[in-house]
Amino acid sequence: MLPEELKASLEKKISLADHPRELVVDVMFTFQDHYGFLSDEALEEAAVLLGMTPLEMEELATFYTFIFREPVGKYVIHVCDSIICWMNGYESIRDFLSQKLGIKMGETTSDGLFTLLPVCCIGYCDRAPAILINRKVYGPLTPEKLDKILEELRTEAG
Amino acid sequence: MYPQVLFQNRKPDRIASLEEYRASGGYAALADVLKNFSYKDVRAMVLDALLLGRGGAAFPAGRKVMTVADDAPFPRYIVCNADEMEPGTFKDRVLIHADPHMLIEGMIIEGYSARAEKGIIFMRPEYESAARILHREIEKAKAAGYLGNNILDSGYAFDIVVHRSGGRYICGEATAQINALEGKRPNPKQPPPYATEKGLWGQPTVTHNVETLVCIPHIIRNGPEWFRNLALTETGSGTKIFCVSGKVNRPGCYELPMGIRLSEIIETHAGGMRGGAKFKACLPGGASTAFLTAEFYDIEMDFETMKKAGHRLGTGAIMVFDHKTCLVAATLNLTEFFARESCGWCTPCREGFPYMRDLLWRIEHGQGQEEFVSTLKQMCRHLWNSYCAFAAGGVAPIESLLTHFKDEVYAHIREKKCPFKNG
Amino acid sequence: MPKLIIDEQEIEVPTGTKVIDAAEKLGIVIPRFCYHPALGSVGACRVCAVKFLQGPIKGVQMSCMIDARDGMVVSTTDEEVVDFRKHVIEWLMLNHPHDCPVCDEGGHCLLQDLTIAGGHGIRRFQGRKRTHHDQYLGPLIQHEMNRCIQCYRCSRFYQEFAGYRDLGVMQIGSRVYFGRYKAGTLESPFAGNLTDICPTGVYTDKPSRFIGRRWDYERSPSVCINCSLGCRTVVSVRYRQIVRQEAKFSEAVNGHFICDRGRYGFYYAGQDERPRYPRIRGKEASWENSLQAAFDGMERISRESGPAAVACVGSVRSSLETQAALKRLCRTKGWQGPVYGMDHDIEMKVKTAVFELDSDLAVSLRDLENADYILAVGVDPVNEAPMLAMAMRQAQRKGAKVALVDPRPISLPLDFCHLPVAPDAMGLWLSFLLKNMVGPDTSEAPGPKARKNLDGTVTEDLTPLWNPDQMEAVEKDFGQSLRPMIVCGTEIVPKTVPGLAADCARHLRSMKKASGLFYLFTGANAFGAALLSDIETSFEKILMGIETNTVRALVLVESDPYFNFPDRIRLEQALERLDVLVVLDYLDSRGVRAADVFFPTMPLYEAGGFFINQEGRARKAHAAFRGGRPIAQISGGSHPPRSFRDDIPGHKTKPAWLALTELADGTADHLEKEMHNKLMQWMVKAHPVFSDLSPVDVFPETGVRLNLGQGTGARIKRDRLAVPQSDFKPDGELVLITVDWTFGTEELSVRSPYLRQMEKDPCLFLSRKDAAQMGISDGDRVAIRSDAGTIHVHASVVENMAPGILVLPRHHRLDWQHLKALKITLNKNQILGMNEDTSC
Repeated sequence: MLPEELKASLEKKISLADHPRELVVDVMFTFQDHYGFLSDEALEEAAVLLGMTPLEMEELATFYTFIFREPVGKYVIHVCDSIICWMNGYESIRDFLSQKLGIKMGETTSDGLFTLLPVCCIGYCDRAPAILINRKVYGPLTPEKLDKILEELRTEAG
Repeated sequence: MYPQVLFQNRKPDRIASLEEYRASGGYAALADVLKNFSYKDVRAMVLDALLLGRGGAAFPAGRKVMTVADDAPFPRYIVCNADEMEPGTFKDRVLIHADPHMLIEGMIIEGYSARAEKGIIFMRPEYESAARILHREIEKAKAAGYLGNNILDSGYAFDIVVHRSGGRYICGEATAQINALEGKRPNPKQPPPYATEKGLWGQPTVTHNVETLVCIPHIIRNGPEWFRNLALTETGSGTKIFCVSGKVNRPGCYELPMGIRLSEIIETHAGGMRGGAKFKACLPGGASTAFLTAEFYDIEMDFETMKKAGHRLGTGAIMVFDHKTCLVAATLNLTEFFARESCGWCTPCREGFPYMRDLLWRIEHGQGQEEFVSTLKQMCRHLWNSYCAFAAGGVAPIESLLTHFKDEVYAHIREKKCPFKNG
Repeated sequence: MPKLIIDEQEIEVPTGTKVIDAAEKLGIVIPRFCYHPALGSVGACRVCAVKFLQGPIKGVQMSCMIDARDGMVVSTTDEEVVDFRKHVIEWLMLNHPHDCPVCDEGGHCLLQDLTIAGGHGIRRFQGRKRTHHDQYLGPLIQHEMNRCIQCYRCSRFYQEFAGYRDLGVMQIGSRVYFGRYKAGTLESPFAGNLTDICPTGVYTDKPSRFIGRRWDYERSPSVCINCSLGCRTVVSVRYRQIVRQEAKFSEAVNGHFICDRGRYGFYYAGQDERPRYPRIRGKEASWENSLQAAFDGMERISRESGPAAVACVGSVRSSLETQAALKRLCRTKGWQGPVYGMDHDIEMKVKTAVFELDSDLAVSLRDLENADYILAVGVDPVNEAPMLAMAMRQAQRKGAKVALVDPRPISLPLDFCHLPVAPDAMGLWLSFLLKNMVGPDTSEAPGPKARKNLDGTVTEDLTPLWNPDQMEAVEKDFGQSLRPMIVCGTEIVPKTVPGLAADCARHLRSMKKASGLFYLFTGANAFGAALLSDIETSFEKILMGIETNTVRALVLVESDPYFNFPDRIRLEQALERLDVLVVLDYLDSRGVRAADVFFPTMPLYEAGGFFINQEGRARKAHAAFRGGRPIAQISGGSHPPRSFRDDIPGHKTKPAWLALTELADGTADHLEKEMHNKLMQWMVKAHPVFSDLSPVDVFPETGVRLNLGQGTGARIKRDRLAVPQSDFKPDGELVLITVDWTFGTEELSVRSPYLRQMEKDPCLFLSRKDAAQMGISDGDRVAIRSDAGTIHVHASVVENMAPGILVLPRHHRLDWQHLKALKITLNKNQILGMNEDTSC
């Protein structure tokens, strides 16, 4: 269940909208941010808020890149593998991360901290090779910089 | 140094504030418009300035708003397409981080010309910081009286909201974007009706790219003729933000006159080829354009000239490839992008791109066969008959690879390996 | 009317025709997957591509998306476009599994047809196929997602056309998945249509899975008799049983679809328990002996107590021939009847409706889709006649407003305004609507007189009965409409309503509107029954006759009072008193088992027959096969016994009309065809309206709407000026009405083992207000006490129903026949909430 305050603020936003359905992505993101990913429970709750059926919400949730319908780690690392980043070191970044975290693309570390995913062009081609971690951009990257970033995140996670 | 119009307030590490924007002449155009011009006047000026859409399609911006009939129903919407997911393109991101109020002013003026009351900025989720910046600056603009029910006491009402997308390339397609805004699956929707007649929520809707909108205050400020004369070519108009990336020394955004030569962009502004490499080819306007070969190294970069040469300026995102880069592998990567981002609505795109990706993969990994070339060529041609422009763009690199770099392709097939890979 | 050239042939078509349909008129069938005439054009599959050579459009375009226009020159055979279509097929086959040998769709698979036609053969793509998990979708539909070619037809039908929200398209790109959010039975009672529209084998008919190949079946046009709409169907027969029933396109009635009650409601015809041999007092006998026994029995009673001591009861599920034969029998012998229903009031309502249904006022189910305003009174479409809900939805999608006056908690797959008016107040409601709509200038009856009457006589405060704002809104909407249509039920409404509905429709006509009138009846052939039934008597009168010994013999023709009559104890006692009970039926009912003489009849699949739907449209159902025991029932799971015989096992059945004719003539010696002709001649002579049915041999597939108006039926003495009374006292007792449900109440479909699985648990609906007063919560088990017995059921507390009303389905799992009437008044203390630990 979403905390009362959060639910109330969402309900208020929905009641103010001319067309509540236009808020569906925002609602999904809110639930996802709270639950860690858009679980079945989260999706069903979100659907009720908007007067949608779970199927209708699922139609949208499974379309979008940044809505996760499976559990993800605390930090979702999206590694850009489109043309410019690919030309400028994507593979070594990917391999470095894979080796450092001990997981393959698509997997989550056993401590639940990091999920590694590919992503299409994130619009930081001038900072290639770039990645997003929880939708925050990092780039241009080197293995050293990556090391530092991971360290900081581990510390932040406590 | 070329005149910096759109980037005039650009700073290395922060946005230009409302005050800084105003100090440079910002919001004067809005005041002028509200006091002295009718909505028809504004339309005429934008049309006269020959402002072509900078989102890739190059549709005349002035003409677009004119298709909103005088007696069209209200409310009307202006949608700013900040979905910018064309690979190699990052100018809109840079623009918003440079001068967000220029976009806000541009939207309000465009709203006035369409007699719209609501503006929506459709933002890709990867640009979270841009979204936050706009949220904040919109509030500031509202507080300063530039947005709301009675803008500068003119009686004109306009409001802007930021809408975050869930993240998909197809959301950048204007009709798919409208579906996304309505909370539906963002498949494109062929007209009729056209969005300017029945778009968002069945109402007249005008969609413009970020870069298109930021030109508008300047057109008003300095006049259409001035805007046209910024270009270096007869056919061009205004300046263009060129994003250069790839094998150059200084990737980044450069505001340069329309019609500037490609060679100048690469050598003078982007610092030349990295590591002294040779220019092999570039994609001149994002991934949905054809490879531009060395033959056109000096071409003038404006919409018309490029079209005449059989190319497209697109978004003006120049992705530079050097002689060490395998273009088969590059095309494979580009095709992988399109295969992944296909929305799945129509057959040729949904099945064709995975098919062609498979063929290119085999060619790149030494499993190519001669007949793949003709298969690819034919499929590319057929993909032009897809439901929307996504596929036509996606096959451009493949088609140009097979046309201009045939030898490279055949070398892969003959040698049963990628000649560019070591060992 | 644009003129265009397609493949060098010229054709002129109505404006708005798509090129793909224009081509079809020329006999050129352009390949298509996503295009469907009922679902519209979306341009997704790209396989209907043609080349426009000249005219306003040029190049390769999708023929389903382009309107035909003057000067177009189109080629379907142009090399480029043929190659394009070939590629589209190849792309669609990229991921398609090699399932043909094990796929039910084989033989009637659009993908197969177009793949072969397109010349696709060996797969050259060397990559891997994408695969999916399948989903359990319920007992009716099998799901195999690997076969999907992403035509989007299913989600478009399910959501856009039908308006249900639990099936759709998920994922993106080549991974798109069509299904539910989670596995589970599909909620829509129209889901079966998915098996018809899916162009491959993603959705296949589960009950008939693996039974046979399309080319093994004998397919025959038929009619659905599970409600009064009479949708067109096609049945498939193999090894002497109906294997499957599908929708058949009907321009006038059901369009391309049917509901699941009809689709899966045919299993009664092939049941093991179906009685197939004549019986005398429970023992198998020959037809001759049984006929003789029945004949003798009737003659004796007739002689002893007069011909009126023999009464005849038919039903609304019989064919017109059977109903007519029963009438002829009564007339010939002077017997009492026939009546065709258990409730005299309902019979009168239907008769009134039939009488009022002028040819120019009557609209068909499809006509309803063109209404711009629909007022429905006393109908629950999804529960009573599901396809009616579909027609209303299509009208609403085109912009029509829909209002529904009914006490029940109605839900529809469309936006509508619900006016929850108590049943007894509906007549008054309609009168007031009519009065308010009749302006001072109207001179046509019943207008001003009715208005004067109402003003003069109704003094009570009517505000508790209905919301005056809602009525005002209805008046306003009627005023603004151009094509208003009135849908009127004949079951729970008071007697005055069908006439008032007609008055409203006529009045709207006088206001220069293209109004329409649409009645819903309680059985497949209620229309025919209304034309033929005797108004002097009724089932009630017959029962009284039995109780007073003036009726001593009863003939039941395809009628089961044990199922339909609301007073079980009285019925049982009455039938005990009978001297002779003769029953003709194809169902194994209690009546059949209690009969003195029993004759096994044929359902419509074996007998064929005419059925007249609620619009007055007569259709001919063809005999799909000659009858006999299904081979599956005599083969013990293996090859049928190798014993030679010159007859078909279990074939001692006859069409009911034939048996009745033999009973009337006392002989079984004539040719069936000859007897049929004789019967038809008699029918036409007795009722000239049936002359439209001749000649029988060339009766059109589309049916014939009977020429309604003058002389269609007995004139019903209708007091047009009578003021409908309202007995309704809002704060007094509760009125309980019994109703139909989609699944579980209709006599034939309840015998379907598959629809049994779709039934909802019976429940008693009551309004929140009443529930609160009685201390009953949603889900509580309650006991309804009548002096005939107690009915146990759980309560469903809802918002959207009229207060003071209780709604109970005539569910076959409930002993609702303890209520003694279809509608009763109860004291609140007759409803008791039951605690879990209260034993009773």
